[in-house]
Amino acid sequence: MKVRFFATYRDITHVSELEVPAPKSVRGLLLLLSERYGPDLRDKILSPDRSALGRDAIVLVNGRHIFHLDGLDTPLDESSTVAIFPLIAGG
Amino acid sequence: MNAWTGTILRVDLAAKTIKKEPLNMKDAHDYVGARGLGTKYFCDEVDPLVDPLSPDNKLIFMTGPLTGTAAGCGGRYEVVAKAPLTGTIGAANSGGHFGPELKFAGYDGIIIENASETPVYLYVNDDAVELRDASDLWGKTVYDTTDTLQEALGNFKISCIGPTGEKLCLYAGVMNEKHRAAGRGGLGAVMGSKKLKAIAVRGTGSVTVARPEKFMEAVIDARAKLKAHPVTGTGLGALGTEVLVNIINESGALPLRNWRDGSVFDKADDTSGETLSKTYLVKSKGCFGCPIACGRVTNVPDGPFKSFGEGPEYEAGWSYGADCGVNDLAAIVHANHLCNEYGMDPITLGSTIACAMELSEMGALPESDVGFKLRFGDAQAIVDLTEAVGKNEGFGKELAKGSYRLAEKYGHPELSMSVKKQEMPAYDGRAVQGMALEYATSNRGGCHVRGYLTSPEILGVPVKTDPLVTEGKAALLKLFQDLTSLVDASGTCLFTTFALGLPEIAAEYREAVGSDETDEEILLKGERIWNLEKRFNIAAGVEKDTLPPRLLREKLPSGPAKGRVAELYTMLEEYYTLRGWDKEGVPTQDKLSQLGI
Repeated sequence: MKVRFFATYRDITHVSELEVPAPKSVRGLLLLLSERYGPDLRDKILSPDRSALGRDAIVLVNGRHIFHLDGLDTPLDESSTVAIFPLIAGG
Repeated sequence: MNAWTGTILRVDLAAKTIKKEPLNMKDAHDYVGARGLGTKYFCDEVDPLVDPLSPDNKLIFMTGPLTGTAAGCGGRYEVVAKAPLTGTIGAANSGGHFGPELKFAGYDGIIIENASETPVYLYVNDDAVELRDASDLWGKTVYDTTDTLQEALGNFKISCIGPTGEKLCLYAGVMNEKHRAAGRGGLGAVMGSKKLKAIAVRGTGSVTVARPEKFMEAVIDARAKLKAHPVTGTGLGALGTEVLVNIINESGALPLRNWRDGSVFDKADDTSGETLSKTYLVKSKGCFGCPIACGRVTNVPDGPFKSFGEGPEYEAGWSYGADCGVNDLAAIVHANHLCNEYGMDPITLGSTIACAMELSEMGALPESDVGFKLRFGDAQAIVDLTEAVGKNEGFGKELAKGSYRLAEKYGHPELSMSVKKQEMPAYDGRAVQGMALEYATSNRGGCHVRGYLTSPEILGVPVKTDPLVTEGKAALLKLFQDLTSLVDASGTCLFTTFALGLPEIAAEYREAVGSDETDEEILLKGERIWNLEKRFNIAAGVEKDTLPPRLLREKLPSGPAKGRVAELYTMLEEYYTLRGWDKEGVPTQDKLSQLGI
């Protein structure tokens, strides 16, 4: 599956996109990415107790915010694309 | 005076008279300031059926009670007239330092009446106010006009038009400090029709507030929240509004090739804020009293699109980018610089070029009319056609009328992606349903800052609501429209609302003007402004609230909103009911009376 990073998260990951074997859910993916990129990313994408999405993170699965899906339990498969953003806005 | 200077300048360009009259404090109380107060003056004095480019249209510059104060982002002023592009009430605001400088000179606003026979500019140096000859400025670009006046006068703040305003381009803007724009609706053409080239202001005074200690407490609280919020504290300053390109694209809402090919652009990242920051960004820049600094100073150092200036903002970058199928960021940056230099709205111009590209590809627009074979994806074409509009040459004369009139001329008005003849920017209402309702009901035609439901629908700020559902959108939009009317009227920047809500904004307003009104009573003023604008539009005979047929009938072909159309009519009746309007969208007499209109 594909994972895409955007905005200031790219300064941490130094890649804009990568392919990983699909974990069962978004929770598994965020834990996987936390291990790979360490606390700099982990502390942004997960809450301090790692039970919830980070307060200022936006995670889309195939273009849909996980808040409107099943949250961290949103299932993933090899065809999934996950896009991860810090809280951003404009207009 | 509390938050006000108490004086309005009334300038008759035909009689060459300048009067200083007291600010109408009742109207200032009821309509807050800037957008609200300017519109109130306008509606009281101008026939809604006036020809926008006739001398009888008036042009009003109005500040708000927080303009020029210590309030965060308190640098805005509003320009109000009947808009030539849409025939609606035209209200566009701008930042920079011009608005505060006007108050420092001792004036809350300027009402421009009639037209001069020869080019003039208005000189305002504290108490000294004069109309001066501008023959040597006529024909100059925004940059040259600003430089020439500042070389002659010193450190004055300049608001002016470029050549497109003089030539009555229907989306010419009023530009201040070169790069800041009251951009939409063609208010620069109104200024051009009056032969008013510029207003040069120098002020040495200051703005006092009613309850200074409590006001500063409210300001410190609001500024702390702006600083602490990830969007206003760091995100917008680091990456600008172009940071939206990727998230809007990933959400399947970035309209592609005149909205013809869905809303997913596989080259979107080439035009994003992330890419801009690594290529042409020189530094970020803020307006008066702004801790956010979303402005982009940009430089294309070499190549065919070499240029230096500011921007683009997200919507301008989209219009020249995805909407034209272009992913050459240098060309997009350069085209945006040209819009500032010639003084025109890049959202409408980029969208009009996109419309021409579709007309050309389908064979409805002859190659001989354009002068070359126009196709989507042509980076050189967006720059060349922008120059053509700026210089009012060749096919640029047709493009200068906007997409609706262009598409109508070539037999396909349905291909203008506009509402009330103004182009919708950058968010596909098929993928963001609340934005569909917002575009249809905006009082100045297709516009993203008359509510901005993208914030809750895509970004999840301040609440998260599903962009694909229609339930609850009417109520949310009404709240956002009323609140943004209030913020615009206050003289502060809409971007503060990413971090601040009604309580913080109302607190600053209350302490500045010395009011004891509740938050709800203050929000009601936003609703009053919205209804006054709507009443004007009804009297002006503006067409009903709807969307281009493409959004209502053509399903999105891909992305998370695949198969969707804009479900406008599922939301519209509820919206009218919540507004207290009849089923045709006309404010009822009961509603108007309740609001004191």
